[in-house]
Amino acid sequence: MQTINVNLLEKILYHVEKPGRYVGGEHNQILKDWDSIRTHVCLVFPDIYDIGQPNLGLAILYDILNQQPDILAERAFAPWHDLEAQLRQNEIPIFSLESKHPIAQFDVIGFSLPYESLYTNALNVLDLAGIPLLSTERSAEHPLIIAGGQACYNPEPMADFIDAFVIGEGEEVILEVVRATEQLKQAGADRIALLQGLSRIPGVYVPSLYSVSYAQNGTISAFLPLESSVPAFVTKRIVAKLPPHPTRLIVPNIETVHDRLSIEIMRGCTRGCRFCHAGIVNRPVRERPVSEILQIIEDGLAATGYEEIGLLSLSSSDHTQILQLTKSVYEKFQNRKVFVSLPSLRIASFSVELMDELRDLRPGGGFTLAPEAASPRMQAIINKPLDNAIFEETVRTVFEHGWLSLKLYYMIGLPGETMEDVQAILDAGKRVLAIGRQIRGNRVRVHLSVGNFIPKPHTPFQWYPLNTTDELQAKLDLLKTGVHRTGLKLSYNIPGTTLLEAWLSRGDRRLGQVILRAWQLGAKFDAWGENDNLPFWHQAFSEIGLDPDFYAYRERALDEILPWDHIHTGVTKAFLRRDLEWSKLGKTRKDCREQCYACGILDSFGADRPISPLVYWGCP
Amino acid sequence: MNDQPLRIRMTYAKLGNLRFIGHLDLQRLFERALRRTNLPLRYTQGFNPHLRLNLASALPLGFIGEAEQMDFWLDQEVSLEEISNRLCKSLPLELILKNLQVIDNQQPSLQASLLSSEYEVLLPADPDPQSLQDQISTLLTQAALPVQRRKKTVDMKNLILDWQLVKQAPQSLLKVSMKSTPAENGRPDELLELLGLDPADCQVTRTKLIFCEE
Repeated sequence: MQTINVNLLEKILYHVEKPGRYVGGEHNQILKDWDSIRTHVCLVFPDIYDIGQPNLGLAILYDILNQQPDILAERAFAPWHDLEAQLRQNEIPIFSLESKHPIAQFDVIGFSLPYESLYTNALNVLDLAGIPLLSTERSAEHPLIIAGGQACYNPEPMADFIDAFVIGEGEEVILEVVRATEQLKQAGADRIALLQGLSRIPGVYVPSLYSVSYAQNGTISAFLPLESSVPAFVTKRIVAKLPPHPTRLIVPNIETVHDRLSIEIMRGCTRGCRFCHAGIVNRPVRERPVSEILQIIEDGLAATGYEEIGLLSLSSSDHTQILQLTKSVYEKFQNRKVFVSLPSLRIASFSVELMDELRDLRPGGGFTLAPEAASPRMQAIINKPLDNAIFEETVRTVFEHGWLSLKLYYMIGLPGETMEDVQAILDAGKRVLAIGRQIRGNRVRVHLSVGNFIPKPHTPFQWYPLNTTDELQAKLDLLKTGVHRTGLKLSYNIPGTTLLEAWLSRGDRRLGQVILRAWQLGAKFDAWGENDNLPFWHQAFSEIGLDPDFYAYRERALDEILPWDHIHTGVTKAFLRRDLEWSKLGKTRKDCREQCYACGILDSFGADRPISPLVYWGCP
Repeated sequence: MNDQPLRIRMTYAKLGNLRFIGHLDLQRLFERALRRTNLPLRYTQGFNPHLRLNLASALPLGFIGEAEQMDFWLDQEVSLEEISNRLCKSLPLELILKNLQVIDNQQPSLQASLLSSEYEVLLPADPDPQSLQDQISTLLTQAALPVQRRKKTVDMKNLILDWQLVKQAPQSLLKVSMKSTPAENGRPDELLELLGLDPADCQVTRTKLIFCEE
């Protein structure tokens, strides 16, 4: 098989920004002999290298696939505008970083889709590869196109383009998919037979094997498999025990967004915040034991030379051994000239103590807390109750323990939110600033980082409409005016980008035409800039004849067939409805480690739960 | 802490894909490669300690370096053989260790003693060597060769110390020696542009760094 014209590539690399993005050759890259390997998989993260390369999911799959002697996995990322123009002008197809083969020459292309704004980039990558965009237009000579990642819990908007989705955790199922593809192809299966075969793997969703009917009002009236051998719904895959963590991580040659040794210390979260997609879809909570984490750090530092370690999870202070972990990390690595970041800490003085345990190992800069809502009413609605005394005590501890800068994450546009609730964010910020100044003087910086709430699939808020752009803008205006001359720093998202993310995360498979058209009109890198692409999207909706407001601004009926209902996360729709009711009543739930609310996860996966006491699950 | 750290001068080649890695990125790459060796590395003092290392001169993006130099420091005596063994294992494939030597701590820094650099430029097949020879000769008879660098103008003529065109079919090789001091730093790609050539069509290799004699 032929590589691209590398001489020509090297020539055009003189004319692009950060050419190091496109050349590979990093320490710990795996380059196998193409011709002696049976199956070639290209893992594509359709964002620029700087953002995609640090993704831990990509590293995990790269490691698992390359451990197989007869499989090779290489990487490709979306080229930035400058290289894309050069590739098109010089007729160079998009290529893998390792061996510089056109990605169309791989047997399997696996797209990582952690967020919806990458959809047009994925189409652009297929186009740059010379691969037909529509699954139905591809034949046996084309690579199998699969996708996975957090956005794929609603796969429907990308159903026209992806042959098979992997729902849930990919560690085990990725090899099952690759092996099944090998066997089916060897047995002479055509494309249809291949897809049918893949649909029999638990956790694999093949959208072309289902038919959708729509009612007069545009909602889904039926969603059915085309044949009896195809499952009516697809339940996500999980790993019962977190598998060995990769340590020989690729060390980028250029600076990336998270340039550090990232280690997943825990998966899932037991807090049950009602807005949180990750909190539902990543259940149950599974922890890595401290001894294993310490060994991963040891091996990872030796293999990478990194000077910073990121201990990642959705809620770090909830790890049952977190205090022991931070103490041990300090003892073991205090002389190694490393920094440790411990993001996602709960609002409690305990979190500050945890950071204190790391002493001089902690990275400089600020402390971050995420109250998400400021008024007690909103906090009850979203199930993130926060006692004001505890909040203020935590803030006080942060400043007393040496931090000068505190960042607070909030959301606007939450269900039932009023202007008073938005005002409460400002009031909280001012109180925090006053506390900080009282303790540390005028050097204190308080930063309000405000995100726009999007009702996400599979959450108790999935039926709610998005705040309109005007509503969000009015709330932002209140905040912008409110921080004036207070010393508070405010950062926020543009409502237009939120709107786009809402369409794409809440859409059905008819949106495929809109995505295709928007891309044809020029939409890509949709999360970048001042949403310059929005006019393309409006035009695409109008040409296709779909109403964007139907997807974003419509309150959905509780008995409606939602576009993602056939994707099961293990948490039942009945539980989500009940939790929505509780939210409307202002009723909160405890951390579900203290009390099981029967969300359904144990019914789906309880049988897989390991008996060993060394494998911790958060469920009671 | 040892007050007389061991100063190691490393000569290395930077090739292949690593041509496209810039100076700051290269520095970070060296820091991590050195950390992987687990040698007793010397760090800067202070709240935010950094690995102490010192690169002689930034190599422009896209250029090959055949004999680049860098100093780093160790807190303890380690044999050059041991350092070499560990470095060879931890350097990326396209950074090649050429030489290691121990340097007196009193010697000035690499940057401070660097005078000039020698480059070899593999030129495209056309224009033909004779016309190129004439073109360069004519160019250098001019009183000044102003080149625009961001907001300031430099005189290229002052920066070229020596040049020679070696004819070899089908391409020619331009050997050029240019000043490389912090105040006056010649860039062969700017010379190529003066000749109407696209540096992307040429392969530029820095073959040698020349330092002032002690």
